[in-house]
Amino acid sequence: MYRFYTKSGMPYRHVHKIWLIMRLTTVILIATLMQVSAAGLAQKINLSKSNVPLKAVLKEIRTQSGYDFVYAEDIFDVAKPVNIQVKDAELQDVLKEIFKAQPLTFTISKTTVTIQPKEPTFLERLANRWASIDASGRVVDSENRPLPGASVKVKKTGKAVSTDKDGRFFLRGVEEGAVLVVSFIGYLTKEIKAAKELGDVVLELSTSKLDEVQVIAYGTTTQRLSTGNVTTIKTDVIEKQPVNNPLLALQGRVPGLFIEQATGFAGTGVKVRIQGQNSLNNGSDPLYVIDGVPYNSQLLPGGNPILGGSGAVSSGIPLYGNPLNFINPSDIESIDILKDADATAIYGSRAANGAILITTKKGKSGDTRVNVNLQSGWGSVPRKLDLMNSQQYLEMRREAMKNDNITEPTPGNFGDNDLNGNWDNSRYTDWQEELIGKTAVYQDINASISGGTGQTTYLLGTGYHKETNVFPGDYADQKASVHFNLNNTSLNQRFKVQLSASYMYDHNQLPYKDLTQTALTLAPVAPEIYQPDGSLNWEPDKFGNTTFFNPVGFTFDKFLTKTNNLTSNLLLSYELLPRLTLSSSFGYNNMVSNSVNKFLQQSTAPEFRQYVPRSTIFVDNNINSFSIEPQLNYHMTIGKGILEALLGATLLQNRNRGNQIGASGFSNDLVMDDIMSASTVTPASSVRSVYKYNALFGRLNYNWQNKYILNLTGRRDGSSRFGPKSRFHNFIAGGAAWVFSEEGFLKNNLSFISFGKLWASYGTTGSDQIGDYRYLSLLDPAYQVNPYQNIVLYKPSRITNPYLEWEETRKLQVGLELGFFSDKILLNSTYYRNHSSNQLSDYSLPLTTGFSNIIRNQTFKIRNSGWEVALSATAVQTQEFSWKPAFNITVPKSLLVDYPDILKSSASSTAIIGQPLSAERVYHFLGVDPETGIYQFADKSGNATSKPDPYSDKTVLVDFAPEFYGGFQNSLSCHGFQLDFLFSFVKQIARNYTFGILPAGAFREGLRNQPSSLFNRWQKPGDKATIQKYTTGFSLDQPYLDAAASDAGISDASYVRLKNVSLSWEIPKQWIKSVKLQGCNLFLQGQNLFTITNYSGLDPETKSSASLPTLRVITLGVKISL
Amino acid sequence: MKDRIITTIYILFFMLIVSSCKKWVDVDGPETSVGFKEAFSTDATAIGVITSLYADMGNQVLGQPAHLTSLSCIAGLSADELRYFNASGNSLLNAYYTNSLNAQIVGDPGYWGAIYAEMYVVNTAIEELNAATLLTPKVKQQLTGEAKFLRAFYYFYLTNLYGDVPLIIGTDYTVNARISKKPKADIYKQVLLDLTEAQNLLSEYYLQGDGITVYPAEAQERVRPNKWVATALLARVYLYLNNWTEAEAQASKIIDGQSQFHLESLDKVFLKSSKEAIWQVLPTKGYLNTTDADLFVLMSTGPSGNNPVYLNERLVESFEDNDERLSSWVGSVSANGKTYYYPNKYKIIRSSEPSPPITEYSTVMRLAEQFIIRAEARVQLGNQSGAVSDIDEIRKRAGLPLLESISSGLQKKDLLAAILKERRMELFTEWGHRWLDLKRLNLIDQVMSTATPEKNQGSTWKSYQQYYPLSIAELQKNTNLIQVPGY
Repeated sequence: MYRFYTKSGMPYRHVHKIWLIMRLTTVILIATLMQVSAAGLAQKINLSKSNVPLKAVLKEIRTQSGYDFVYAEDIFDVAKPVNIQVKDAELQDVLKEIFKAQPLTFTISKTTVTIQPKEPTFLERLANRWASIDASGRVVDSENRPLPGASVKVKKTGKAVSTDKDGRFFLRGVEEGAVLVVSFIGYLTKEIKAAKELGDVVLELSTSKLDEVQVIAYGTTTQRLSTGNVTTIKTDVIEKQPVNNPLLALQGRVPGLFIEQATGFAGTGVKVRIQGQNSLNNGSDPLYVIDGVPYNSQLLPGGNPILGGSGAVSSGIPLYGNPLNFINPSDIESIDILKDADATAIYGSRAANGAILITTKKGKSGDTRVNVNLQSGWGSVPRKLDLMNSQQYLEMRREAMKNDNITEPTPGNFGDNDLNGNWDNSRYTDWQEELIGKTAVYQDINASISGGTGQTTYLLGTGYHKETNVFPGDYADQKASVHFNLNNTSLNQRFKVQLSASYMYDHNQLPYKDLTQTALTLAPVAPEIYQPDGSLNWEPDKFGNTTFFNPVGFTFDKFLTKTNNLTSNLLLSYELLPRLTLSSSFGYNNMVSNSVNKFLQQSTAPEFRQYVPRSTIFVDNNINSFSIEPQLNYHMTIGKGILEALLGATLLQNRNRGNQIGASGFSNDLVMDDIMSASTVTPASSVRSVYKYNALFGRLNYNWQNKYILNLTGRRDGSSRFGPKSRFHNFIAGGAAWVFSEEGFLKNNLSFISFGKLWASYGTTGSDQIGDYRYLSLLDPAYQVNPYQNIVLYKPSRITNPYLEWEETRKLQVGLELGFFSDKILLNSTYYRNHSSNQLSDYSLPLTTGFSNIIRNQTFKIRNSGWEVALSATAVQTQEFSWKPAFNITVPKSLLVDYPDILKSSASSTAIIGQPLSAERVYHFLGVDPETGIYQFADKSGNATSKPDPYSDKTVLVDFAPEFYGGFQNSLSCHGFQLDFLFSFVKQIARNYTFGILPAGAFREGLRNQPSSLFNRWQKPGDKATIQKYTTGFSLDQPYLDAAASDAGISDASYVRLKNVSLSWEIPKQWIKSVKLQGCNLFLQGQNLFTITNYSGLDPETKSSASLPTLRVITLGVKISL
Repeated sequence: MKDRIITTIYILFFMLIVSSCKKWVDVDGPETSVGFKEAFSTDATAIGVITSLYADMGNQVLGQPAHLTSLSCIAGLSADELRYFNASGNSLLNAYYTNSLNAQIVGDPGYWGAIYAEMYVVNTAIEELNAATLLTPKVKQQLTGEAKFLRAFYYFYLTNLYGDVPLIIGTDYTVNARISKKPKADIYKQVLLDLTEAQNLLSEYYLQGDGITVYPAEAQERVRPNKWVATALLARVYLYLNNWTEAEAQASKIIDGQSQFHLESLDKVFLKSSKEAIWQVLPTKGYLNTTDADLFVLMSTGPSGNNPVYLNERLVESFEDNDERLSSWVGSVSANGKTYYYPNKYKIIRSSEPSPPITEYSTVMRLAEQFIIRAEARVQLGNQSGAVSDIDEIRKRAGLPLLESISSGLQKKDLLAAILKERRMELFTEWGHRWLDLKRLNLIDQVMSTATPEKNQGSTWKSYQQYYPLSIAELQKNTNLIQVPGY
């Protein structure tokens, strides 16, 4: 039969014996202590008692007989009252009579009577066996839905079963009245007395964060039982943020997850890194999975460059925008971020950089519910740079001319328009106000209907979102979306089907040019934008030639992208045998985007229009992927633990098709959307690629009484991205957790610790994020408008490497999780160390090879390590008021290690061994030489020089990676009011706007306004200045460039940002009863409200002053449920 | 119904386990590309690979120091032919112009990277052609000739721009990434070897796009190299090597042996039908004829960001009175109170039509240069009268008095000076002739030490600036490479 072992490794039956011995000792001890003496001997006994306690009867007999009685005190617990009528009876007979009905027996020796419990006879034992019962029942949630897989355990014996698909359980041979412990992930554990028919056991949802459901690869868990590093963000957090990309709702909330928005445009690129960058320059994106179906991490080429990228390039072509922009944040139930190997290894090759699992909303059974959420608001650029005014600007320009010995400003319309009389010098325009100062309008409406009966539930949702932009002109991003989810379970509960789909149509009308940089650099004396009649002003000179290339002209060029995105998933599952379930998911994703990028003639100065034909670039992209994932799930009880086994396979195919076609020669502006109206059509590029991927995977999870948990996963992957010889690779991982708070010694002694878990995981994941067909040597056709002798031309696209292999990341993570005072304070700390080796990387080649790089596996390793700490608390929780603060911080560190052949490698110039990937060497800036007025730098021996040697004098090492980042969040609620706010913070450095981006005080790129801080310049020998003497030519160009490449060009870009504020008020129920509303919430939300930073630039997040900074958005809204 | 679903799942699952994994990850190559081996197994794709190199020459942006084509502008700036318009704000062009290049500013790919990129195609083509079995033999022979010619053409320019350079004739990137420089003489050895082979392999006729068919005389397009193109380059190379006999012999093969070449009137030299052309390339970009006209021809408003260069006044002043080339090949505009001159050999500017009629082809080599080459060789060989008659062919066409009438008292030195001047006036802003000639004749220090300060106040000429530097990145990536001396 079963063997039970205790933790000390001793067989269970031995323990039982010890227990018996101990009981016997007690009996003897008590017997000795009993001061019972014999009063007399061998006398006849007379008794007449009715319903008298045994103890009293024995006392009477002792008095009459003088015999001593030896017994353990506890025998009276089971003794029955005595009825006896005897006269002059023998002691032996009397005792026989008394003990006949008692579960006790006696022995007489000399003058002592010893009383013991009766040994049961075989028959009695048999009868007792029949007395135990078979307990059965059904475990359900508060809405009477069955909870399959719940655990039912006999507290005393540890015997456990789990519920079937209907939530039913059957426990054989339980003592009636024994205590059963019923538990289920995400619910409060309940203890009940065993009975034959227990009926429905209702489990209440747990309110502890530890018991919230976490979605993991091919399953679910909770923070309490997880053996890996998983963070979950729920819909209540997402819906408080007026963002159009769900990823932006995660900023500052997840330790180990660094998210950076590229620009302030709707549809912006978003860079996502989980625990750092694991790959030198290929694929550091996490795996996105929506309802079990893999989703694209990048868009195809051809997006609008002003959106900025999401941190990836494809064959040297930057990819703009972000695919998660086409997912409605309101459709999302939860987002789970999987960080360590234990959580991600089952995704094998694709999860080296972690995984982000998105679960969409599902219906709940019950009455039909309607939710409507309306909001509208405003967005604006939150910060302006302090630039020179007209007077300062002109002074700077004149001085620069003087320093270069230029007496006359260059005449003509391409000359120095600001000084040569073409522009009115008395003008002043705040170009930041004119060009990026508008208020964007934000509108959002989401509605959903959900409901269902026991067997079928459904949810239908729809949304509309509109966001305009801060530039002059008419631009808007509009999104319409539909989401549905349908669940059905067969009557016998064995067959289940779930269908969910989300569809979004996005209509994003953007300009082609970002005016932000123009707003910062346009001369303040530049002419008016509009003429009195409202038309654009090109400020012609006396010859009629344009002197002002009006930036607003660019707003005539329109970039319209229409995207249709469908993600859908069908999940079928069937219980083949009790505890054995076969299921399969069928996923399909189709993203079609069509862009029309029109260049109208109005954007060009009038006299050049004859040379610039109207032209349109048409971009059509189609990403099409399907996946099938059959799985077998088995769970059984082994000992006091539950074993779950999973076996599955993945088939995935991804097809990308894209075309970019240029068309020009349209006869008027109205027909520019129609390619047939173009006189010339030029194919610009095309993408056709197929990616196939398959895998076999398995997982074993053993949970011993929620105390010891072991999780093992393995996967064998094949990817079409590698040469035929190295397509397959194995990945394995293991994780273990010890919930030490379940141990008795802690429960009894340190009860203020309500939860304690120590976990560790180790394993391998891989990456094949290199783009398709990289192992083939290929020639691409090159299009010619005017074909050379009518020949189709072919050009080599890259140098070949047929030996490409998988990149591998080994992840080691250890975590300690603690809960104090009934989980009122939760502390979660993790140390991670990821080693990425066999790096798939662009190995840079000298140009003599014909190419600047080749992709190949490289020997160096990248180590990403760091600490993640998250602390959350329920500081105050009363009926009226609650306050819940939460804090998280991540201290990452990335190093390039193990690079034995660095000297031979062509990467030696960029990567520095033993230093972070993001490190660079720069000059040390020594300020302006007071004698010459030229910047000085320290050479390698520390001496000042104005001509530093780029090979040897770059002595300062700077690292652009964040030093630490995190967030501090507070939730307050009081009388129906709820206030949430989040501060996010980052400590980092970046290139500043003063030196790092533009040469300060130089005009190498034409007339440019500059920050007013640059006014402190050198003018004459002896001046102590921060800026070298102004110049307009190239005479001092190199020192300007060197200053940009020095530590002066880099400065602190740390910031603390009030990322999100949400204030909501729930209208009291009695007020809305009359209008038949279930609930009504009024709310005010704000995003990026203010930023505390020393950064000299527009935005320390985008770190760019050439792109639109993240906007400050404030919205007002109402949420109604019917 | 339900049973059927369940059966389907069963079957799917079973299939997955049983079917071999390998099959599921096999993909065909992309529909959009072709492999190297396949490319050299059909005539059309093999021709497409080589022809892309010619198309490149007709397409490059002249204002960017990368592909050889732009030497017409960039080497003109480095020498004393062109001036750079300061307000255009391009520090790299400015450095080429003021002879103040350095390893930091030069950037990649530059001529170095661009030429070696094409060299890779040529070397791969030579390897693949050598192994190819499915090509039509005539096509295979012609393409091999073209590839060898191109290799010589590229090395000629590489060594003249950079001095000593690595000699790369294979395709193994591990070797080419660690390669070191070879002396100039070794490079020329390879150039001569390739050109002699090319001369033998190439067709005598100008061929059409199929690599076999000869153009009918009336519709001839001289856009693929043939035997005479290789011969013309060979004449130039011998001249550079001071092998006067061979230079004269090769030039004579073209001048005397071929009636298909003759000097055209000035207005017809650069037209697509020019009989003076030995090799032209066809512009394949939209809206344009040649990129030369696009860059050089100034608008009425004068130089600008789009047209940042104009002719150096010293060059314009050097034209003799009545030189018809001044009126025919030099244009001028008056803007901002100043007269700007510009090269006007190519005249058709950007059109608003995407495919305007193309009447001008970019001329890489032409007969006039062969006359000048032969004249110089003949002077060196002591054949003064032959030299004078060659030069007079050029002067006659330019409407100038013939040297014949005034040459009786001329010394060899004077005659060489006259030839050099004729070179300058004839070949200005064509493929960097002036910049290369100054170096070849060791005149560069003498000429540039006055020209450089004149171009930009404060600039001085340093002799090492006659070769362009390699970028820092290139030197760091291949530690066996040494920088051009002086930088």
